[in-house]
Amino acid sequence: MPLLNVCGLTKRFGGLVANNEIDLEVPQGSLFAVIGPNGAGKTTFFSMISGFLGSTSGSIEFDGRDVTRVRQDQIAAMGLVRTFQLVQLFKGMSVIENVEVGCHLATRGGVAASLLRPAWFRKQEIEVRERAHELLDFVGLGSQAEQDAELLPYGQQRLLEVARALASKPKLLLLDEPAAGLNTQETESLARIIQKINAQGTTVLLIEHDVGLVTRIAHRIAVLDFGRKIAEGTPDEIKAHPEVIAAYLGVEEENA
Amino acid sequence: MTSLSITSPKPAARAARARLDWFQIGLLAVCGLLTTGALIYGGYLLTVFQLAMIYGIFCIGLNFFMGYTGQASFGQNAFACIGGYGSAILCVQYGWEPALALIASMVVAGVAALLIGYPTLRLRGHYLAMATFSLGLITYDISIQWTSLTQGYMGYAGIPPLGIAGFEIESERWKLVALAALLGFAFWISQRMRDSRFGRGLRAISGSENGAAALGIRVPRFKLIAFVIAALYASAAGSLFAHTVGFISPEVFGPQMAIITFTMLYVGGVGTMIGPIVGAIVASVLPEIFRSVGKFQDIAYAVVLLGMLIYAPKGLSSLGKLFRPRKKEEA
Amino acid sequence: MPSVVELVQSLVNGIGIGLIYGLIAIGFCVIYNASGIVNFAQGVFVMLGGMFAHTILTHYGLPIWLSAVLATILVAGVGVLVQIFVINPMWRRNAPLFAIILATLAVQLLIEQVVILTLGDQPRTYPEFTSGGPLKIGPIAVGYQLFWVLGCGAVMVFSLQQFFNRTRMGRALRACAQNREAAALLGVPVERMLIVAFALSSGLGAAAGILITPTQYTAYMVGGPFGINGFIAAIIGGFGSPPAALIGGIFLGVIQSEAIVFFGAGFKNIISLTLLLVVLLLFPNGLFGGLTKRA
Repeated sequence: MPLLNVCGLTKRFGGLVANNEIDLEVPQGSLFAVIGPNGAGKTTFFSMISGFLGSTSGSIEFDGRDVTRVRQDQIAAMGLVRTFQLVQLFKGMSVIENVEVGCHLATRGGVAASLLRPAWFRKQEIEVRERAHELLDFVGLGSQAEQDAELLPYGQQRLLEVARALASKPKLLLLDEPAAGLNTQETESLARIIQKINAQGTTVLLIEHDVGLVTRIAHRIAVLDFGRKIAEGTPDEIKAHPEVIAAYLGVEEENA
Repeated sequence: MTSLSITSPKPAARAARARLDWFQIGLLAVCGLLTTGALIYGGYLLTVFQLAMIYGIFCIGLNFFMGYTGQASFGQNAFACIGGYGSAILCVQYGWEPALALIASMVVAGVAALLIGYPTLRLRGHYLAMATFSLGLITYDISIQWTSLTQGYMGYAGIPPLGIAGFEIESERWKLVALAALLGFAFWISQRMRDSRFGRGLRAISGSENGAAALGIRVPRFKLIAFVIAALYASAAGSLFAHTVGFISPEVFGPQMAIITFTMLYVGGVGTMIGPIVGAIVASVLPEIFRSVGKFQDIAYAVVLLGMLIYAPKGLSSLGKLFRPRKKEEA
Repeated sequence: MPSVVELVQSLVNGIGIGLIYGLIAIGFCVIYNASGIVNFAQGVFVMLGGMFAHTILTHYGLPIWLSAVLATILVAGVGVLVQIFVINPMWRRNAPLFAIILATLAVQLLIEQVVILTLGDQPRTYPEFTSGGPLKIGPIAVGYQLFWVLGCGAVMVFSLQQFFNRTRMGRALRACAQNREAAALLGVPVERMLIVAFALSSGLGAAAGILITPTQYTAYMVGGPFGINGFIAAIIGGFGSPPAALIGGIFLGVIQSEAIVFFGAGFKNIISLTLLLVVLLLFPNGLFGGLTKRA
């Protein structure tokens, strides 16, 4: 059974069809990518899967449960955690605090616990800090832990968002154009990090504009164009797919 | 997948604790010294500082909702009104004990905040601002019009001073000591909530609601809890005002209260830990230093607030940051 | 149960006060559409209009029409000062929304306190523009002032429409309302347009205050309720065109006035504020969704 199973997902904004009858199966443990030119409906697709946008029709099944009409925080609680194309850092918090917020789902305790601080809660808070440090080291931000998050350079803000999402121990990690605005070197290290995350057992679904990155690391790729899925296959199949080349790759290679 | 490779030596295992910079510690020390000075000097200064402590408690709550959670409420004086009248009515009409009346009023204010906040907090931007502002105005109007309960413009006099089980704090000096202790307690509670899973969630909402929701934080519920907490603080401050001054009338909790407390919060620094305390004390003491201000006091508050809003929206507590060397990392 | 006569009488009164709310509401819309700012101090201009007109009338003995014109111009000047010294600096610094709202509230308190110091805290009023009356239609009394409100209101709404549609400046203001960045790119001086917007809306507020004072009274604290009621009217009218805001105002005025018959005058503000909360809560995006889109 696939971890994520999308069936006939459609989104209309008035007369505009942003997503048209998209089917997608993301197997457990895979590194899956969705690519497509700008305006192909990738972000709309993503927002529906993660519960930030209601769908017009179709169904989304995650981990064996129907999540088509489920709120975003509940979807996150089930283990489907996303990052954003426009980085959504928590301003006014330090780098490590950002990651600690990420531990929200993996921990418990509310107002009462924070006031009374029973032993388990104190232990948990220490574990949260340890884990946040581990994750920052993992993405290479260990030395900037105490800095204000908003003062990080852009590329590192992206990495921080990935670390933060990982802190919630997701089953499926959705990365929305993680390489947007990164230079070649940063993209390289990001690619390695994504592969490492996947190797440690987290299923990754990646939306990308950068075809080079995707064809190198993804196991399987789906291509969107004008809101429709026009192809799906392994990186080699996609590279050879005539419709994909026509719609997308040809243009992109000229630019590169 | 929890076993992530660790590439650097393990840092000392210690839970997150927000730290004050030296400038902020200095500010707190100055505030402490001022309060001690007032305690020794006595006289009218005692009243000034008693009110400063009460406003401080109010502002800590306000800071919780506006500073940490990043939401706008212009009607917190409504909850101070509930607290003040709750204490006055329960003590004067029904002979309750002050401490009990204070707690009972807090419960009422908390429930009111829950019922009002649930629908209201769905609003955003100007609508939220106007809805909360009108909440304060409605309460003010009711406190004038519902004379059978509130005695209208006459207000309530003869409210007994704070105390527990028959012991009443009569001396003005001891009242100040008790209020300072309560302010410290209120601060301690707010710190505990801030430096925890719950507080981090609130501050995340202020940073980015979408980001917080994507990490599984139930944004509406967190906002509501923060609103209720702010209301509890406001109610406690209202009750303390009643018990300290011994007299309340609708004007005490009118719209000026909103402006005064915002001035304090902005002077001290919105969203900073010590901002509410520093702001409440500084903004209470300054008018006394310029004694001539007298009837210009409200004008002074409004002008200072406008000045802070335009030129120094981060307040006193953030001044220290200007001197701190900033590391700039290479990408 | 109130009699039919009472109900009709309060309907007439409601239309009168509702027109005033409508004029204030238009003031809200003019600023909001040009800048995305809701000026919470709008009511203070209403108060100033009445106060200034009264002062000019009684202290300098000028005729009422001249006092009214002078007071309107003076209040428009105050509005311009508020824009230049408070709103514009914050606007340039990209201050957060709630800081700007707070600033307009502080402006309201500031102006009220200055009025107390200079003009005193006593309520005051002056005679209706046309003496005599009221006009009796059966048992219903209609004050002559209502016709002044109706006439002046119609003239103002009409000239405002002409201004927005016919003049260069009016069209530039509308361009700002539709898309500020694009307007700036096309060479519309956006900051100067904001000054115009503030002058217009404070002038409108002042006119409303001058018109209503003879039937009620004015004092330093009437601004708050007028502002809120104007805001409610603007929401009901949808923050769009002046006529819609006027209709929103009449709707609110009539409801309020009928409610007074049932509950008593003391609950006037409580009723309209409750109406505001109900409208806001039932329509969290506003009646016409206009406000949150840009807020």
